[in-house]
Amino acid sequence: MTEARGEVIVPEGDPNLLIRLGSGLRSVLRFIRGKPLGGIGLIIAVAFILIAIFANQIQRHDQDQIFDSPNPDYKANPTTLELARNPDIGSPVVVEQFAEPSGKHWFGTDKFGRDIWSQVIHGARLSLIVGLGASVIAVIGGLVIGMISAYYAGILDLLIQRIVDMLQAIPFLVLVLVFTQISEPKVSYVVLWLGIAGLAITTRLIRSAVFAVRESEFVLAARVVGASDLRIMVRHVLPNVVAVLIIAFSIGIGAYILAEAAISFLGAGPQGVASWGKMVQAGRGSLDLHPWQTVFAGGAIMMIVLGFNLLGDALRDVLDPRLRGA
Amino acid sequence: MQGYIIRRIIGAIFVVFLAGTFSFFAIRILPGDAASAALGLDAGSASAEQIAERRAEYGLDKPLATQYGNWLWDTIRLDLGNSFTNRANSVWYEIGRSLPYSIELGVLIVIVGFAVAFPVGLLSAIFQDRWIDYTLRSLAILALAAPVFWTAAIASLFVLEWELFLIDVIGQPHIWENPKDAITWYLIPMLAGGFAGTAATMRLLRSQMLEVMRQDYVRTARAKGLRESVVIIRHALRNALLPVLTVMGVTVATIIGSQVILENMFNIPGIGNLIISSLFERDNPVFQSVIVLIAVFVVFTNLVVDILYGIIDPRIRLS
Repeated sequence: MTEARGEVIVPEGDPNLLIRLGSGLRSVLRFIRGKPLGGIGLIIAVAFILIAIFANQIQRHDQDQIFDSPNPDYKANPTTLELARNPDIGSPVVVEQFAEPSGKHWFGTDKFGRDIWSQVIHGARLSLIVGLGASVIAVIGGLVIGMISAYYAGILDLLIQRIVDMLQAIPFLVLVLVFTQISEPKVSYVVLWLGIAGLAITTRLIRSAVFAVRESEFVLAARVVGASDLRIMVRHVLPNVVAVLIIAFSIGIGAYILAEAAISFLGAGPQGVASWGKMVQAGRGSLDLHPWQTVFAGGAIMMIVLGFNLLGDALRDVLDPRLRGA
Repeated sequence: MQGYIIRRIIGAIFVVFLAGTFSFFAIRILPGDAASAALGLDAGSASAEQIAERRAEYGLDKPLATQYGNWLWDTIRLDLGNSFTNRANSVWYEIGRSLPYSIELGVLIVIVGFAVAFPVGLLSAIFQDRWIDYTLRSLAILALAAPVFWTAAIASLFVLEWELFLIDVIGQPHIWENPKDAITWYLIPMLAGGFAGTAATMRLLRSQMLEVMRQDYVRTARAKGLRESVVIIRHALRNALLPVLTVMGVTVATIIGSQVILENMFNIPGIGNLIISSLFERDNPVFQSVIVLIAVFVVFTNLVVDILYGIIDPRIRLS
């Protein structure tokens, strides 16, 4: 318990870890050795980031290209009877729809004869942008609101806490669905709305961290020598909650990716971009005979969320073991 | 203690009021309203006068402050009005029709979830760092990462592929009307929802068990010569359960969230589907009432859990 006044709040574990984290490959290797699961998470996350960056290089086929093959039954001028027996007889090519995974199409093709591997590769971009972007917005917003709430305490804090309670009383998915309805379904707006919906959780985390710091002796000392509120917050409080910020950032990413996938699955996600949630939904129509689109798109969601969750869990354990289970 | 309970109840009512206010303004900020949604199906066919007439009928032409005042006063008197979309139906009727389905599915999800989380969390803690622990923890981590709609889709794929059973359900039976059909209908959503909803509970239970097993009173119980099963269930589990209960509010909100998706996937006409349809059709009275209903449910779950916790563990009341 940190009730003692004047106790300097240093994250338990290793106080120098933050500095070491920034100091190159060796510290990363040390992190992986200490937290093997976190290491796996890091590798998965980095792999997906590389896939997203080099999507155009490893896609093998364009994601919108429709594959077709010559029609073996083709006949130039079919009679009505022949046409009734085989509706495709009049066209020289047939769309290669629902191809099984093969050397040409690693993940097979979808209903429209498009390459699923290429779609999955491009879907990584949206998930990463959404996950990282929304988490940045939620942490920055949560930092500002959480600091104000904890620092000024009193009636303002009470009101903010009740608003946070209110946001948490509405299921996250419903909140996101409502928000995304407000604007056009563009990626940037969806990122923004997800971040705003996530404010409740980050605000709560950061507020309790700031509360602990503001009771400490060095903040009191700073106030005694006449430092302004802003200076105290930026110079004295902020550096002491950095660990919590990193934790809040990393444990949120998976949740935002899942939320985007869910709203895309429900048809309310960002339009005009490859989305794994949308692909899972698209594949459901022919799930019994051609499950590949659903299987691979959903598997990709699970892998990327798994990676970021493992990484976030390990970072949390290393930076601040007290938050375990948060 | 009484003062604490009263303070908490006032806080809870205020939170519900905020949720209602939020839903009131949220549905009005969204582009379009019920009048244009109802008349504008074939775009351009409805004249401006027709839309204006319909808006007046809904009371959407009044100033926002008046609408808000009316809504607040009506809601306090529990008069929720009529649905905009199904204009003959009162909101109470719509909720009364949907709620049983959601409660059925929700209860089934909770049962499945805890039936999985309890033994898994316990086994994982008892066999800490053995292969069984690693396997179960990996499963929990996967369950947390897998989207619930995907788990459900894969589960139905296996059912179809291996012809495990026939999902041949006529109508939308309640469990008390036709248990066999209803369970067949609910089976996949309840398994997928339970799997997703309680991975967090399982991990929490495991870490709490490990914490408790290190305590002196557990050692004392063992030293007294009690059987291991008694030590684990009577001494350790009882104390490890408390923190698991405190996150019930969060668990409930998570489960409602996954119910929205599962009801949509499996055509279960519950509250989750009602939220989506009322949101998309801009059915203000239904949407507002459902959000308030969910907020009441989540907030009062939290409240009851906290009060119970305060009664069981007196240290909480002091802080």
